[in-house]
Amino acid sequence: MTLRFHRTVYAGTAIDAALQRFAHLANTTFERREEGDYFVVEVTSTTDARTKKIARELGNFALGLTIENGGANP
Amino acid sequence: MSELLGMPPGRVDADIGEGAVTITVDASVYPLPSVYAAAFTFIARCWVFLDRDGADRLRIVLTAKTPIDADGLRALAGEMSNELLASAWRREITRLNRGLIESVTMAAFGGAMGPPSLDELEAFDFADEPFDDPLGIAQSWEDKYKKPKPPAEGSEGGTP
Repeated sequence: MTLRFHRTVYAGTAIDAALQRFAHLANTTFERREEGDYFVVEVTSTTDARTKKIARELGNFALGLTIENGGANP
Repeated sequence: MSELLGMPPGRVDADIGEGAVTITVDASVYPLPSVYAAAFTFIARCWVFLDRDGADRLRIVLTAKTPIDADGLRALAGEMSNELLASAWRREITRLNRGLIESVTMAAFGGAMGPPSLDELEAFDFADEPFDDPLGIAQSWEDKYKKPKPPAEGSEGGTP
């Protein structure tokens, strides 16, 4: 599953911190790259349902950390 | 994606199978900090995703963490709209009252702004009593209840 976080909405540091927090999950891989205005994260896990749930939780985590840090450009 | 009954078409769309509702708002009416504040209140019960939709619009996707039907999605969209309005309004009130808040804060911290200058010290009236204390409240216990000193031998009050 591909997550596309807009640069003006999500802080790159928040996405990195979220990825670091989720890195220990078993049988799950995260691939981060940048495409234009977006930070792109590819999430792969054992099943589609698990992949979707992990990706959505990652999105929540990144958003929460972005807000806690004062937004995308604090 | 389908429209939700009672919601403005093109602004609120639902994906009932996924349990998701997408709300598109004008960023000039609901600025990003207000959207952040509103979105944060939904993080516990929804997966929240924010995105840009062009230069001046923001897209909010709420996906329920528990199974939800069309009525539930409509309620979710309504709650989000209310929260957005409340956040934007709180932000506007803060902006309008910023001058007042700053002046009150400056007055409150004015006493801690450092020692007085030499000119201020020169103008200060040191002869002025600090305050009246007719009941002796500001006196220390020792001063108020101290025992009188015993008269020294050979003084006027002594017995012969």
